[in-house]
Amino acid sequence: MKTRQNTGLFFLDPAQQKSYLPDYKELGKYVLSLDPALQVWFYGDSPLTEKSIREVILARNLDQLILAGEMPGLMKPMFVKCMEKEHKDGTQVCLVSFRDYGIQPGQEDRIRQLLACVIMDVPYPFAAKPDEVPVNPATLVIGGGITGIQAALEIAYANFPVYLVEKSGTIGGKMATFDKTFPTLDCAACILTPKMVELNQHPDIHLMTCAEVTGVSGAPGNYRVRILKRARKVNLNTCIGCGTCAEKCPASVPSEFDAGTTTRKAIYIPFPQAVPNKYMVDPTACIYLKTGKCKACVKACPVPDCINLDAPDETVEITVGNIIVATGYRPFDAGRIPQYGYGKFPNVVTSLEFERLLNASGPTGGDIHLRGKDKKGIPVFTTDEPKPEKIAIVHCVGSRDKNYNPYCSRVCCMYSLKLAHLILDKLPDAEVFEYFIDMRAFGKGYEEFYERIKEENVNIIRGKTAKVEESNGKLLIRGEDILKGEVVVQKVDMVVLSVGMEPSDGTFELAKMLNINVSEDGWFQEYDYNASPTDTLHGGVMIAGTCQGPRDIPDCVAHGSSAAACVIRSIMKGSIPEDIREVTLKRVEENIKKMLEVKHPGP
Amino acid sequence: MSTRVNPDLRNELLKFGIGDWNACYHCGNCTAICPLSETGFLFPRKKIRLMQMGLEDKLASSVEPWLCYYCGDCSETCPREANPGELMMSLRRYLTSVYDWTGLSKKFYTSEVWELSFILAMAAMVVVFFLKFLPAMGYTFTRELTTEGGVKINSFAPPDIMEMLDWIMAVIVAGLLISNILRMYYKIVWKYTNTKVSLWVHIREFWRLIFNFAVQPKFSKCGSRQYWLSHWLLMSGYTIMFILIVVYLPWFQTEKVLPWWHPQRSLGYYATFGLLFGLIFVLVGRLRRKSVKFRFSHMSDWLFIVMLTLTVSSGILVHLFRVNGMAMATYVSYIFHIAILVPMILIEVPFSKWSHLAYRPFAVYFQQLQKYAVPRKGSKTTPLWKRSG
Repeated sequence: MKTRQNTGLFFLDPAQQKSYLPDYKELGKYVLSLDPALQVWFYGDSPLTEKSIREVILARNLDQLILAGEMPGLMKPMFVKCMEKEHKDGTQVCLVSFRDYGIQPGQEDRIRQLLACVIMDVPYPFAAKPDEVPVNPATLVIGGGITGIQAALEIAYANFPVYLVEKSGTIGGKMATFDKTFPTLDCAACILTPKMVELNQHPDIHLMTCAEVTGVSGAPGNYRVRILKRARKVNLNTCIGCGTCAEKCPASVPSEFDAGTTTRKAIYIPFPQAVPNKYMVDPTACIYLKTGKCKACVKACPVPDCINLDAPDETVEITVGNIIVATGYRPFDAGRIPQYGYGKFPNVVTSLEFERLLNASGPTGGDIHLRGKDKKGIPVFTTDEPKPEKIAIVHCVGSRDKNYNPYCSRVCCMYSLKLAHLILDKLPDAEVFEYFIDMRAFGKGYEEFYERIKEENVNIIRGKTAKVEESNGKLLIRGEDILKGEVVVQKVDMVVLSVGMEPSDGTFELAKMLNINVSEDGWFQEYDYNASPTDTLHGGVMIAGTCQGPRDIPDCVAHGSSAAACVIRSIMKGSIPEDIREVTLKRVEENIKKMLEVKHPGP
Repeated sequence: MSTRVNPDLRNELLKFGIGDWNACYHCGNCTAICPLSETGFLFPRKKIRLMQMGLEDKLASSVEPWLCYYCGDCSETCPREANPGELMMSLRRYLTSVYDWTGLSKKFYTSEVWELSFILAMAAMVVVFFLKFLPAMGYTFTRELTTEGGVKINSFAPPDIMEMLDWIMAVIVAGLLISNILRMYYKIVWKYTNTKVSLWVHIREFWRLIFNFAVQPKFSKCGSRQYWLSHWLLMSGYTIMFILIVVYLPWFQTEKVLPWWHPQRSLGYYATFGLLFGLIFVLVGRLRRKSVKFRFSHMSDWLFIVMLTLTVSSGILVHLFRVNGMAMATYVSYIFHIAILVPMILIEVPFSKWSHLAYRPFAVYFQQLQKYAVPRKGSKTTPLWKRSG
């Protein structure tokens, strides 16, 4: 057996929660049984000081340190400093992070497995290899955006059954609301809607709209998923989509699809190309469901028994082998940045609102008009208002800002350039100003697109917009042009805020249900950033699209296909690795022994 | 003109304040959100750039740090949390040490030991003066009261001697301050040999100096007005008290208890009110740390507030004891009052935080001079304020 001289193992529990290390003495005994030459310390009860560490290093003449704990990386700089001050090699400090391997409190055997691998110098993923278990060929896709659609279609093309669960009344997601895609300037709906229709008509895909996953149990290869199907109140089979009900409905609320720029009724179709193209009732807006009196839609409906306002929600349970999570993102709430005046000035709009304004099915039929006020004083887009002459586009709203989200949302630069192009397309005499910090045109054809926009006489100004003010009905936008070194105050008619991406609502709850991790920024954590970007620590659960991190449409499609490939792989093989948490300590020890017996050729 | 780069400048500046200034990615948010930044005098981003590049000389000759009144908008909205507002504050401390030719300012700003031992030594000298030197000259303290029931303060601390010492101190402080201001003038206006400022501009713009000293109009444009108001009350109270003590001491320090409406008392009361109001405002603000302005307190900030609070409160005690005829208590609090006051004035005014009373209005004046600077004959370069970058 190999022994390690002059090596110190430190158990660290600086938060003193003892959740990971309830019985560190037993752990210490176990470690010493593997390698009696090790020197073991526990830090948790007393505060960790530089002096005490240096004393230990000096007294025991330690050349190598192993730091074990929930997140020992936090303490590593301190130990490295101490090693260097004692004239030792600072690189000889290695980490055993329980968090990084998805170990949860109470899983002491997994901690032991990990420590055994580290002490024996055996890579953990090789020693702790889970068994294969048979896999159920059915797959659940959570989320019906472009990623979910792509993944579901790919699996269904291979003739395997797919359940697609979508929270809203239609599939299509955010992409359905976009006008054009960058950099090719294709019509977004022209790419998306054929896929949506194909998905709805595919015999192997079971589409569940107005549905949510409420519980997941079971193990990889055989999950039991409980799905809450919220009552649509309209019979999907008999509804002919005539729209008589919506005409008669007295309640109207802002439309989610049009980002609040138009209104819809309480009984509605999200948008004309929705799939399924059937009406649905919004229970929070319906007057009958709130007061018990109305039923105007029921009276108006030409099909008997099609609308049933008293239909209850139902819960179904399905069994699947794999789960693909494609829950997407939520646009940043621009109202959180007070200096931009979103919500205060009607003509400060978010990029999603502006995208609807540009769209031919939007509030003004695709003409760009300023936002005015209706009779009640509520801001609305109407064709009565004048067209803007100067429009400013503000990049990095809520992204790359430590006060909101420190990460780059990756798509805003490109879609802002696209918006600039579309504005000049519709208003050739307009002046467009782009305020950016760094232009991130990073993909195939993107830099060329940027060059093209520059030639289209868009004023591209380097410098973050500091604030937006109002003066005489115009908006004053203030920022420093850092290349010129002067503060620029520009008078414009309209300001478009390029909002970034945030993890969608319910990400945490879903992560808990599926037993997968969420990264620091709130996105789902992948198994390995480079090597397996769709896998998670939990076998049989894939993540795809923007729920894993900000990405644009081509990347989402590729990611969806990639997740589908992983699913098809496991189905075709017929088996899937069981949960790594099921691997026993005894098996790991045996594997380590086997691996150590193999003679390495040596360097 | 050659430019010297000091790669260690950031670490040197970190002794004068706290901030993650290297995190700045130059988005320009701070400059654009600043209510006081104007063409030709852009800050704080430009100063961060100079700091990051280690351009010591350019920083030393910049007037902008003194034009910033620290509303904190830049730090609050900085996307990198680089704390540009605190950099401007640190630069003011740094520039004070740059202007100071004795080198004491840098010692006081960067070393607690130096500052505290200097204060204690000064305080000890004051106490020795009162307990040994004055009694030797025949001025002793007595429990007896005057026939009208007043404390015999003038036989304990004779106003003529005290006033003479006041004047000596004032001359020392003014001499130090004026020499530092001349150095400041040299660095900001004179050093640019390619531009010159006519004498007429010097005279014409002089009113700005007086006006800015008295009213601080720029401060009132910076953030909430309450900061300006409390500062103005503190400043006016202090100025009145200073004039009463240095110029009119024999009139101010009387044994007779005058009625409250008498100018000698009412002026003193106003000054005390102004000082107390300003001090409580700053103390509460710095303890709550809610506004950015008060979030990061340097050792010199605290020392200034604590010493001023002790001076004001001991001054109030002297007054209360004297008015109520408590002789011994008056003498003890009087000695304490002077023992804090002397080191405070000697340290704070020429070397530390209080020097801003001169540097700020002079900076506004020098800024105007820079604006009207014209190129010298044969020089093709544009004046400083017209240059960008």
